Amino acid sequence: MKGKWQQKGHEAERRLFTRMKGKWQLKDHEAEKQLFTRRLAVAAVIVALLFCALIIKLLNLQVVQYEYFSARSDGNRLHSQFVPPARGLIFDSQGELLADNQPIFNLTIVKEQVEDLDSTLAYLTTLIRLSDDDIEQFQNRLSRNRVPFSSVTLRYLLSEEEKARVAVNSHQLAGVAIESQFVRSYPLGSLTAHSVGYVSEINREEMNALTDAEKENYGGTYHIGKSGVERTYEELLHGTVGYEIVEKNNRGQIMRRLDRADPVAGKNLTLYLNAKLQIAAEQALGDFRGAVVAIEPATGGILAMVSKPGFDPNLFVTGITNDDYSVLVNDVVNTPLFDRSTSPYPPGSTVKPFIGLAGLQSGTIDYEFTIQDPGYFRLPGVSYRWGDYTLRTAIGGGHGETDLRKAIYQSCDTFFYDLGHRLGVDSIHGFLSQFGFGDNFALDVGYARTGVLPSRDWKMESRGEPWYPGDTVNASIGQGYMWATPLQLATATAILANRGAVIQPRMLKAVDGVQFEPLNSNSKPDVFTDDADYWSYIHEAMTMVVHRPYSDVFRDYGTAYESIAMQDRAMPYIMAGKSGTAQVVGISQEILSSEDIVVSDLNKDHGLFVSFAPAMHPEIDPKIAVAVFVENGEHGSSVAGPIAKQVIDSYLLDILRLNFHAADLEVGEVSVSQLDD
Amino acid sequence: MPRRRGVSLLPTLHIDPPLLIGVCLLCAFGLFVLNSATGGDESVIQRQGIVMVVGLIVMCAVAQVNVHLFRRWAPPIYGAGVALLILVLFVGAEVNGAKSWIDLPGLPRFQPSEIMKFVVPALLAWYLASRPLPPKFKHLFWSAVMIVIPAGLIVLQNDTGTAIMVFMSGVFVILLAGIRWRVVFAGLFAGFLGSPVWYLFLAQAHQKNRILTFLDPYRDPTGAGYNIIQSQIAIGSGGIYGKGYGNGAQSHLDFIPESHTDFILAVLAEEFGLLGVLFLIGLYLFVLLRGFAIAYAARDLFGRLLAGSITLTFFLYVFINMAMVSGLVPVIGLPLPLISRGGTSIVTLFIGFGLLMSIQNHHRQKFF
Repeated sequence: MKGKWQQKGHEAERRLFTRMKGKWQLKDHEAEKQLFTRRLAVAAVIVALLFCALIIKLLNLQVVQYEYFSARSDGNRLHSQFVPPARGLIFDSQGELLADNQPIFNLTIVKEQVEDLDSTLAYLTTLIRLSDDDIEQFQNRLSRNRVPFSSVTLRYLLSEEEKARVAVNSHQLAGVAIESQFVRSYPLGSLTAHSVGYVSEINREEMNALTDAEKENYGGTYHIGKSGVERTYEELLHGTVGYEIVEKNNRGQIMRRLDRADPVAGKNLTLYLNAKLQIAAEQALGDFRGAVVAIEPATGGILAMVSKPGFDPNLFVTGITNDDYSVLVNDVVNTPLFDRSTSPYPPGSTVKPFIGLAGLQSGTIDYEFTIQDPGYFRLPGVSYRWGDYTLRTAIGGGHGETDLRKAIYQSCDTFFYDLGHRLGVDSIHGFLSQFGFGDNFALDVGYARTGVLPSRDWKMESRGEPWYPGDTVNASIGQGYMWATPLQLATATAILANRGAVIQPRMLKAVDGVQFEPLNSNSKPDVFTDDADYWSYIHEAMTMVVHRPYSDVFRDYGTAYESIAMQDRAMPYIMAGKSGTAQVVGISQEILSSEDIVVSDLNKDHGLFVSFAPAMHPEIDPKIAVAVFVENGEHGSSVAGPIAKQVIDSYLLDILRLNFHAADLEVGEVSVSQLDD
Repeated sequence: MPRRRGVSLLPTLHIDPPLLIGVCLLCAFGLFVLNSATGGDESVIQRQGIVMVVGLIVMCAVAQVNVHLFRRWAPPIYGAGVALLILVLFVGAEVNGAKSWIDLPGLPRFQPSEIMKFVVPALLAWYLASRPLPPKFKHLFWSAVMIVIPAGLIVLQNDTGTAIMVFMSGVFVILLAGIRWRVVFAGLFAGFLGSPVWYLFLAQAHQKNRILTFLDPYRDPTGAGYNIIQSQIAIGSGGIYGKGYGNGAQSHLDFIPESHTDFILAVLAEEFGLLGVLFLIGLYLFVLLRGFAIAYAARDLFGRLLAGSITLTFFLYVFINMAMVSGLVPVIGLPLPLISRGGTSIVTLFIGFGLLMSIQNHHRQKFF
């Protein structure tokens, strides 16, 4: 019924329409419906086809390329990052911290997440102190090989205020973050700048020098030891890198930590260095430029090694600014970056005890041997006179009749010119080389220079000239071709104090609290003498340098008596010493042309002093051997001597608190009085 | 017997049960996905739910209106719509770069261009249904004018996406009305020839950029290509079974931009995998088939053409969004119907469904 009614309706419509238009064939509803239905079918087919295309695309993405996109997704969110190990701490022998790790806050940037680096930097400049230097260093760090999406430090050491300002504006600083980091700090500052050294950012050459395994190990490390102990023991101090797999969001924020392999911290090192003594030595140098090296004769342990002036090693840790650096570099007079303690100078008269011992051991001279000193020396058949430098300011004559003992305590050049000439260069070279001259005996101060202990071969090789007898004459008073570092002088003095038992200077005493014994610690043979009394003789002569007082006899006092023993009548121990004064050779034109320098000051001789104590003690072996070098100090005995005395006082009396019993003192006094005759 | 009463109640209310079920399923699934995409942001879900309820109410309301009222009123409504479009050019409020909103005090803010998606096909259906089919060239010309005027105005509003949809909703009517294939192919050929001209002389920089990015997203992987690369990674890494609800690393770590709106398919594909996308396509197909059925069964040409156009426009929405997110077509800023977060756009969709229901359940005969 319903259907019929509908049909009628259509008829009605058709009729109505056609009548209006007056044409029959124009509106054919059945045909139009079929046309529409066909079109709808075509549309449905197209819809189906397009959905098929979509599904094929999805199949391709989600099934065919699933592995690839899955990895990409993980790569997006998972970041393997290195966890740097804590660098080992460095302690002095008493457990005082010499190198510590302190947390600092740095401003870092992930370049990939910054939309416009220049404008971000410009904006940051308004928030924190940011010098051109910081930006330049930042650009350098950026240009190095680095893992994508890793953060690069823009500014170290943010202040609390700067931190707050960055945090408040963080919404405008995509890719910018504040990261905390442990960095080296050196509590003693410039005091240990040369000996302990410092760490600083790894540079490209250092990175390239690492093996692949090492590069991996340095993945999270920004710093590397550049000098001193920090460099020597880099391997022990660094530790082993750890890993961490973290999930990061698209702004680089860490959302979760998924896996972690803990780093192994570097080893803690204990040095022989004694911070108190280091401070005392630095203070003893006063306003002078120079170096002090103190060695424990029993072990070779370096108790103090000072080069003055130093510099603040903390500046280098977080990247020294150009200004600070140019101040250090351009100070051509004080050269704070230059390590005087391991650099060679003419040792002057400080070599005389060794030459004397060589004379005794070789049988060239004996205790009875004397010369008549006219104040100069002349080689046979040569008219040139080698003057006695020690007498330059004195008036007239020489030392008169002089034996080895007097030649040492009076520092008689003429005697040693003669002795040196008798010994010959070969024998001097052979004997002195046993004390480490011309060599680096140090076990872990690899950067120390070796100086020069001249020989015929050496001269032919380096100068292309044969050895002349006059060269021997110069060398026998520690001038001419003879060069030695303060470290070498302290070493040789310690061996002398040890009566020939050779020690090799060393910094490292213990690793993680366990006594450290290097493999090559006994590679050098001891110094042998036919008669053990030779050592006592030399020790005695050296104590006279310090303790032999003035008397009626012309020129018969110890050269350092006035500046050392006379100043401290209550000195509870006996000190053996030898002064030296070395001519300054070759001041560079650069220094001479510098305006604010009194050139005459720089032409002044260097003062040196070597010593050990306590000497000639019946029970206590020598505890310390010291070499003092005072640049342009003019006098060894009067300038360098008291410095050595202060260092020894500090060590024996303040640090070791040795109790020189009354009985011992008496012995000491007796022996001193005996020396007086 | 409550069940029987329920079934018989809906037709009385002019509600089409299959379409209602399909739309409700889509809404529910949409809310479910949106919940994950927003990281469980309740305020967003609540708002979306409210919008959907409002949409359902609007749908029911529209369904009550006899479709022939729309037919009769199509020309004046069209005229009013065009007037509003012109008005918008002068007093419109700008949102997201498109100056397409009318923001009158006391009235909810709305976009006249959205309504044109129905007004244009309604006018064309009205126009062509009373002309002999297939349409003659003269009729085609006037049809084209009827399409181009509002579409052009919407382009002027800087809302190319909507302009394309309005344009296509009109084109669908013409295609369904039986335009001769040779004209269709001639048009396609002209478009093929014209596209280089468009690209070289008419296309704006950002449009060219989108096309270049579509061809090679890696030419600027952190800039223009970032969206499509990240969304492809999300889809691809979802695999067949997906990473599980709420486990989409790409979306939860904010690698997918616009993950609540245009790129929500990437979230779905990542968390539910290929099966999830197929399920969604299935739901859409169900709704589309119902739309086709309504168009097929419509009593008269006007209803058929309008129903067909609404259904195809809905399909175009679905397809363009899915194809763009998966990298099949260049990025065009269109949401995924009923899944993406939205306001007016969702209500507009419901108006479409309401029209379909009206076409299905109102018999023209009652007018006679």
